[in-house]
Amino acid sequence: MSNHIVEILKKEIENFKAETKIDKIGKVLEVFDGIAKVSGLSDIKSSEMVTFPNGETGVALNLEEDTVGVIILDDFSKIQEGDEVKATGKILEIPISDNIIGRVVNALGTPIDGKGTIKADPSTGSGLSAYPIEKVAPGVITRLSVSEPVSTGIKVIDAIIPIGRGQRELIIGDRQTGKTAIAVDTILNQKGQNLICIYVSIGQKDSKLRKLQTRLEEGGAMAYTIIVSAGASLPAPLLYIAPYTGVSIAEYFMDQGKDVLIIYDDLSKHAVSYREISLLLRRPPGREAFPGDVFYLHSRLLERACRRNKESGGGSITALPIIETQAGDVTAYIPTNVISITDGQIFLETDLFYKGIRPAVNVGLSVSRVGSSAQIKAMKKVAGTLKLDLAQYRELEAFAQFGSDLDEATKKQLERGKRAVEVLKQPQYAPIKIEHQIVTLYALTKGYMDDVSINKIKEFEQGLTDYSERQAKVFYKQIAEKKMWDEKGEEELKKVIKDFKDGPWGNSLKDRP
Amino acid sequence: MAKISPKNIAEAVYVATEGKLGQDLTTMIRRSVKMLKEKRMLGRSDEVLDALQSIFDKKTGTVRAKITTAKSIGHQEKKNLENEIKEKYKAQNVLSEFFEKKELLGGMRIEIGDEIVDNTYRRKLQGLEKFLKQEK
Repeated sequence: MSNHIVEILKKEIENFKAETKIDKIGKVLEVFDGIAKVSGLSDIKSSEMVTFPNGETGVALNLEEDTVGVIILDDFSKIQEGDEVKATGKILEIPISDNIIGRVVNALGTPIDGKGTIKADPSTGSGLSAYPIEKVAPGVITRLSVSEPVSTGIKVIDAIIPIGRGQRELIIGDRQTGKTAIAVDTILNQKGQNLICIYVSIGQKDSKLRKLQTRLEEGGAMAYTIIVSAGASLPAPLLYIAPYTGVSIAEYFMDQGKDVLIIYDDLSKHAVSYREISLLLRRPPGREAFPGDVFYLHSRLLERACRRNKESGGGSITALPIIETQAGDVTAYIPTNVISITDGQIFLETDLFYKGIRPAVNVGLSVSRVGSSAQIKAMKKVAGTLKLDLAQYRELEAFAQFGSDLDEATKKQLERGKRAVEVLKQPQYAPIKIEHQIVTLYALTKGYMDDVSINKIKEFEQGLTDYSERQAKVFYKQIAEKKMWDEKGEEELKKVIKDFKDGPWGNSLKDRP
Repeated sequence: MAKISPKNIAEAVYVATEGKLGQDLTTMIRRSVKMLKEKRMLGRSDEVLDALQSIFDKKTGTVRAKITTAKSIGHQEKKNLENEIKEKYKAQNVLSEFFEKKELLGGMRIEIGDEIVDNTYRRKLQGLEKFLKQEK
C-alpha cells in the first residue's frame, strides 16, 4: 500500500518543474480595512493581481509615485507591516467551466456551497478557462439590436415594459417593495427558455440569500442558475468585484453562443462599497462623497450586457440591475446615473404595494426604451393600448372621487381601468405562461371582462385560461408556433370565451345589478 | 501647495551638496538639517536618507544587492556573483551584503531593489506543496 502511494507521489513530482525567475516585490507599509499600502512594485499595472505571503490575493488600484494602494480580497488580519508582496503580472481572473451552473460561488469564483471545487468536465469537452474580471465591452460592429423577448412571466412587465435579450432594465424602488421578487420570478420562469441565469448578491444578508437559494432549488431553477455571493459581512473589496465576476461568468457562456440573464442585487450597495474603498485610498470625494468615477464604475459593468451578431459568435447578456432608493427619491446620485445608463426602468412604489397592487409597478414612471420590438407579435397586439388605458384611468380616477355625475363613456373607461389593474395583480412565485397572458389580456382589452365583478376577476382569469387551453387548441398552437394568431384562431378564441362566460361557472362570476 | 515629500528634500540636498567639500559641505548639511527642523520633518529623516541614497546610487551607477544563503559561501563565489550582477544591471559597482539563514535549506536568494530571484530549496518545496495540493 505504502509503495503504491510512493509511486503516485513520484509520478506527481516528476511533473513538477521549479522555475526560477525574477519576481517584482514590494513591502507592506501599512494595512487597514482591507487596504494595503505597498512600497516597491515599480512596474506594476493598474488592476494587476498581487499575492501576499500567506497566499492572500490583492489587486493594485492606486498607482502613486512611491507607493501602490492594494485592495485585499481575502482575510486581511494575517497581513503585517513589512510583509513581502509579489506582483503576478496578471489581471485578476476567475476559473470557470460549464460545471459552475447550479453552484454558489464567492466573488473570486470559488464555490461556497460545500459541493467541492469546480472542475473541468472532459465529458462535455469543457475545460477550466480563466476569464479576466475586467474586460472592454463588445464594440458596435459586433452588436445586434434587441429583438427577442425575455419572458418574465409577470403580466405587467411582459405586456407594458417588455424586456429583450441583451437589454439592460433597471429595477428600482424603496426597500420592501418587491424588487428581488421580480428578479426571482423572472429566474423561475426561465425553465426551458434556453436562458442561463446569474444572480449576483452584493451586500445582502446571508439569510436572505439562503432563502432565495432554497426557493430556486424548490422551483427547479438551480439547474440553469449560478449565484455569485458577496454577503454583507465581507469587506468592501469583495463587494466591489462581485458584479464583475458575475458578468465574466456571463461572458463565458455568451462566448459559447448562449443567452444569459444576470441580476445585480443591488448596485446601490456596490456603489457604497466602492465609495468606502475610494475614501480609504484617499481619492477625493465628490457628490454624496462618491468618487468622481462612480459613473464609469457602473457604465463599464452594464455596457458588457449586449446581444452579439452571428459573425461574432452570437449569444447575449441581459442585465437586470437593482437599485434601492431612499424614500422614493429617484433623483439621488446613483439612481440617476444608473437610470441614464440602462435601457429603461421598472419603478416600484411603496404606496402601490400597500394598496395591494402587487407587483407594485408604477406603470406611468416605468419604461422600456427597447419597447415593443422585444415582444412577440401577439403580445404586441393585445398590449398595444393597455398602457394608455391605464394612464387614462389613473387620470380619471382622481376626478371620479369628486362625485358620481359621470357620462357613460367615462364610467366605462373607469370600469375597464379597474379591471385592468385587477388583472395585472399577480402573486409572488407564480409566473404565468405567455399564452395565458395573451388570452387574459385579449379578454380584457376586447371588453369581455367588463361585466365580470371586480372581486371575481382573478377567479375568472384562472377559469378562462384553464378552459381555453383545453378548448382553443388552434389558437394556442398558433401562438406557440407562429407567435401570432390568424382569423381562424381568433374566431375560435372568441367562441371559447363566449362559451366560458355563458357556462354555469362563468355566469356566476358576472356582476349582478 | 503640494506637500513636500522626503524625495523632494533629498533631491534638493543632493543638488546643494554636489561637488562640495570641507567647510562648504558642512554648512550645506547644517542648513539642510535646519530646514528639516523648520518644516517639522525631522521625524522623517530616515526616509530622506533612503531617498538620498537611491539618488546617489543612481548617479554613481551603484547597485545594492542582498544575498541570503543557507550556508556561507566562499570568497571566489562571492566575487563571481558580484561580477554577474554588475553585468546584468550594467552597474559601475556593486555593494553586496551577505546573510545566512538556515531555514532556506539550500540555494540562494538575491534581492536587488524591488526585484528578487529566489531559487532556495525552501521556496521550491513550497512550490511543490502547492503543486501537489492543487486539483487536476
